[in-house]
Amino acid sequence: MHEMSIAAEIQRIGRATVERHGDGRLDSVRVAVGELTAIEPRLLVYAWEALTRGGPDDGSRLEVEWRPALQFCAVCGENKTRGTGSWLRLCPDCGMPLRVEGGSDLDVLEVSFTPREREGG
Amino acid sequence: MSAQKNIRIDERVLSDNDHIAGQLRLRFAEQGTLVVNLISSPGSGKTSLLEATVRTLGKDFRTGSVVGDIATERDADRLRALGIPASQILTGGACHLDARLVKAALGRGGFEWLDFLFIENVGNLICPTAYDLGEDFKVALLSVAEGDDKPLKYPGIFSRAAVTIITKTDLLPHVSFDLDRVRAEIRALNPTGTILAASARSGDGIRDWCALLRDRLASKVSIASEVV
Repeated sequence: MHEMSIAAEIQRIGRATVERHGDGRLDSVRVAVGELTAIEPRLLVYAWEALTRGGPDDGSRLEVEWRPALQFCAVCGENKTRGTGSWLRLCPDCGMPLRVEGGSDLDVLEVSFTPREREGG
Repeated sequence: MSAQKNIRIDERVLSDNDHIAGQLRLRFAEQGTLVVNLISSPGSGKTSLLEATVRTLGKDFRTGSVVGDIATERDADRLRALGIPASQILTGGACHLDARLVKAALGRGGFEWLDFLFIENVGNLICPTAYDLGEDFKVALLSVAEGDDKPLKYPGIFSRAAVTIITKTDLLPHVSFDLDRVRAEIRALNPTGTILAASARSGDGIRDWCALLRDRLASKVSIASEVV
């Protein structure tokens, strides 16, 4: 259950981004999570909700963009996506090396916040 | 009412961890220390393997270890008993080590100018795989008592570990474990990885493992001296 630690890193980056651009209430953070990161998007969102509850970011949303790993076998000419286990590096049908694209993303893409009203402004 | 601002940043979630891991890697390169991150499920024999390793390499090399657990200093005590510096990281529930924890543990001193630093991660086949600790490579352990179906069930670690060690091979006559099947599954996940088999109890395979460590240290030190 390292989703909690990952959520804490996302919150740290989200807060730092808000502070760099003034100050305000964090509304949402959009992240990319690749299939090969062993992070479960549903658990990550639960972790985010648990982590932010009762704090300054209570009510903010975590939006997860899922990035699959794509596997191609040059010999079979087939796309093996998800059918046979996305971590395989050798084709289960012919034993030749698979070309793997994507799936290792774990990035904060966008931070949305509402700037605080200036006092007396 | 202020308008919402959307800031595109495209920053790696683990950028902070990776930054500290990079600092550690630089420091280990300067010190000529080979750093190994050992990952396995609880009870697969990480500490026993390290005890056998230290007994074999300890005469000729300076070794040290950082061990992670939820609670107790049991593992560090076992390694200290061999006369090497061992720092116990207590994660208090967290299922993995991160670079910050390792840096703090090394800050307690006694880890300067080691030849080998062994980082024994928290027993867990999933969570530790995502965290770079500044190591030269990851080592996965799989004991024969755990079953031969595990590589494809926990593909992350077996595909990322440069070396997999099948441990407790002295138990092979007593358990149903197809060594060839496991080797084939690990190769399908990680065609370039090295697969070893060892028993800390009987000593089988420990020499091969220690020879691999010596080779990797020699190439790290020679690369470092070429750069200088």
